Amino acid sequence: MPILSDTKFLVAHYMPYTDLPDECLERDSLWVDIPNAYYDPHKGHALYERYLGEAVLAEELGFDGLCINEHHATPASMMPVPSIIASAIFARTEKLRVCIMGTPPNLENPHRLAEGYAMLDVMSGGRLEVAIPLGTPMEYWVNPVAPATARDRLHESIDIMLKSWETQTGEPKGYDGKFYHYKYLNVWPRPIQQPHPPIFLVGSGSLTTVEMAARLGFGYAATFSPIPKQMKALEIYRQKSVEAGHDPDPSKFPLTAMVYVADTDEQAVEEMTPWADFYFGQLLKSGRFIELPGYIPVDEFRRRDGKFIPESHGVFDWKAIEAVYRVVAGSPETVANQLEKWAEETGSNRIICEVHIGNMPHDKVVSNMTKLAKEVIPILEERRDGAPKVEQSPQSAYLDPPEMMRFRKWTGR
Amino acid sequence: MDGPVNKKIVDMSGFDRSEYVVSGVRTAVYSIGSGRPVIYLHGGGTFPGFDFVREWARDRRVIVPYHPGFGESDDDPRIDDVSDYIFHYIDLFNQMGLDEVDIVAHSLGAWIAAEYASVQAPRIGRLVLVAPNGVVIPEFPNPDSFKIPKEQLHEYLTADPSVALRYFPDGHDIDFLTLGFRELTAFSRVGWEYPQGNPKLRQRIHLITCPTLLLWGQEDRFFPVGGAKTWQELLPKSELRILPKTGHLVLGENPDAPGIVHEFLTR
Repeated sequence: MPILSDTKFLVAHYMPYTDLPDECLERDSLWVDIPNAYYDPHKGHALYERYLGEAVLAEELGFDGLCINEHHATPASMMPVPSIIASAIFARTEKLRVCIMGTPPNLENPHRLAEGYAMLDVMSGGRLEVAIPLGTPMEYWVNPVAPATARDRLHESIDIMLKSWETQTGEPKGYDGKFYHYKYLNVWPRPIQQPHPPIFLVGSGSLTTVEMAARLGFGYAATFSPIPKQMKALEIYRQKSVEAGHDPDPSKFPLTAMVYVADTDEQAVEEMTPWADFYFGQLLKSGRFIELPGYIPVDEFRRRDGKFIPESHGVFDWKAIEAVYRVVAGSPETVANQLEKWAEETGSNRIICEVHIGNMPHDKVVSNMTKLAKEVIPILEERRDGAPKVEQSPQSAYLDPPEMMRFRKWTGR
Repeated sequence: MDGPVNKKIVDMSGFDRSEYVVSGVRTAVYSIGSGRPVIYLHGGGTFPGFDFVREWARDRRVIVPYHPGFGESDDDPRIDDVSDYIFHYIDLFNQMGLDEVDIVAHSLGAWIAAEYASVQAPRIGRLVLVAPNGVVIPEFPNPDSFKIPKEQLHEYLTADPSVALRYFPDGHDIDFLTLGFRELTAFSRVGWEYPQGNPKLRQRIHLITCPTLLLWGQEDRFFPVGGAKTWQELLPKSELRILPKTGHLVLGENPDAPGIVHEFLTR
C-alpha cells in the first residue's frame, strides 16, 4: 500500500559530540561520569554551527520538520537544553517545524517548561511540537530528583503544563499537587497553537504511558523497545484513544527509522556501518548507569530478567538492533520500499528519518538528506499519486552551512 | 505479595513469624527466644540474613521486623521520608504491646532507630547503633551507597571481601537481583536525595537519653569510622567500640560483635 495522503516527512538530528579520543572510547560508559574535559568547546562551537546548518538544509530540501532530543552529561547529545537549539533553528528558518523530544518535565519546574515552550511557539509563529519523556535512567544520575517518585511527578507535571496553557479569563487559579504548589498558575505568553502545540508522549511500551497518551489525546512516540511490543502498544493506543473519544489520527504515532541513502545498497551498508557502530556501540554505551533504583516497577524488573535495556545499547550487533530499531540503508528504491512497508505496518503518516548517524561527516549528511528528499520521497509520492513531482532546485543544498548562511543573507531569504 | 528473600543465606528456622497490618501495609515480624524484648532493625539490604541475633535470644526475646519495602513486608510507596519510619514503628510497637524495648540497629536501620529514639526516648531502654548512617558529617562524607558499582559491593561490605561474597549467588539469579532492586528502591525513597543522612537529625539527636553503644568496623567503607567521634559527641551517654579488621557488616563479619552487643544489653 502506498503512503497515506498528507504524509509528513521529518528528519531527526541528535547533535552528538563526536571528537572523542581512544582512551575515552574504552570507557564502559559515555554517560554520567565521563569527564567534561573531553569536550572541547571550540570544536563544540564548530559542531553546533555545522548541525544548525544541517537543520537549515532540512528546510531548504522541503522537509516538514526536524526532531531534536535532550540528554545530559554525555557526548551522545549536545542538547541538555533543547529549547535553546529550537530557538536557534527557528531563527534561521521560516517554515520548518521543530519537535523537541524532549525535555523530561521532572528536570525542570513544570510551569517554567510550559513558559519556554509557549515562548518558542509564539516566536516561531506556531512551529513547535513537543514530545514528553520520563527521561532515561542516566538523566536521573545527574539531576536532583528521586527516581522512585519520577512517574508520579511526571504525571503531575504534565497536568500543570496543560493547565498553564489554558486561557485565563478571570482570576487565574492556583495549583495544589503532591509535588508542586502554585498560588497562581498563569503563564505568559500563551501558545499560538491552541489549545497548545501538538504533544506526544514518549514511551517504551509501558501500558500506563500508552493509556495516558490516549486519554489526553496526545500522540504516542515509541522508543527503544522490541518492535512487536511497539506494535502492541500502538494497537492499545488506537483502541484506548477511541474509547476516550479522541481520533487516533495517523499523525499521532510517528514512524521513526534510521535511514541512509546511497547510490547502491552495497555502498549504503558499507558506508553506514561504521557510523552506526559509533552510535550504537559507543554513544549509547551507558554502562552501569542504565540501572536505577525505582525507575521501573519491581514486577517489571523481574519480567525483564533484571535487564534495563535492549541488548542493542553499547554493543554493535545488527540483529539485536533490528529487533528494537527500524534501520534501513540502501539505494533510493530500497529505502522507499522499506519506508513504504513500515508506513503500511504502522498506519502512520508522520515519518521521522534519523538522517545523521553517530559520527557521520557533513558531506554524507548532506547527500543522505538530499537523496532522501529528491529521490526517495518522490518515489513514495509518485506511487501514491501516480504522477511525478516537479523537482525543486537543489542548488543551495550542497553548500556548506556557513556558506549557506551567507547565501541566505545575500539573497535576503 | 511476599517479596523475595536471599534463600541461600536467610534461615529463619526456630523463629516465630507474625504479620501485622500497619497503616494498611502488611508487615512481617520474626521473633525468637523469651525475656525482655530486643528489636533488631536491619539495614538497606536483607540479603546477609539475621543469624547473629540468635546469640541474644539465649536470654532475650529478639524481634526482627522487615521494614516496609524490604524482605517479606509489603511495599509502602507513601514512605518517602525517613521520618515516616518513626510513625511506622510507633504503630507497630503499639500493636505488639511493646512499651519499653531495647533496639539494636544496623546502617539504614540505625538511621531509623536514631530518628525513632529522638522522638520516643522514654520507650527505649538501651540502644545499639551499628555502623550507622543518619547524621550528616561533612568531614567524613560517605561514598553514597547508590553510587557503589554492583560488582564492587562485596569489597565495600566487609573488610575481607570473601566474607561478603558468601552472601551472593554464584551466577545469574533473578530472585536475588529482584530482592536487591526492590530493597534499593525502598531505600532510594528515603535516601536518594539524602545519601549523607538527615540534615535535621543533628539538631534533634540530643533527645536520645538512653545508654547507647556505637559499634563500628575500623574498615567500614560505607560509613567511614572517622565519623564515629561526631556521633559520640552528639550522644553524651554513648560509648564507642571500634572493631579492627571489620567492615560495614559488623555483626556478620566479626565473630565477637554479637557477644559485645549482648554484653552491653545485659549490663
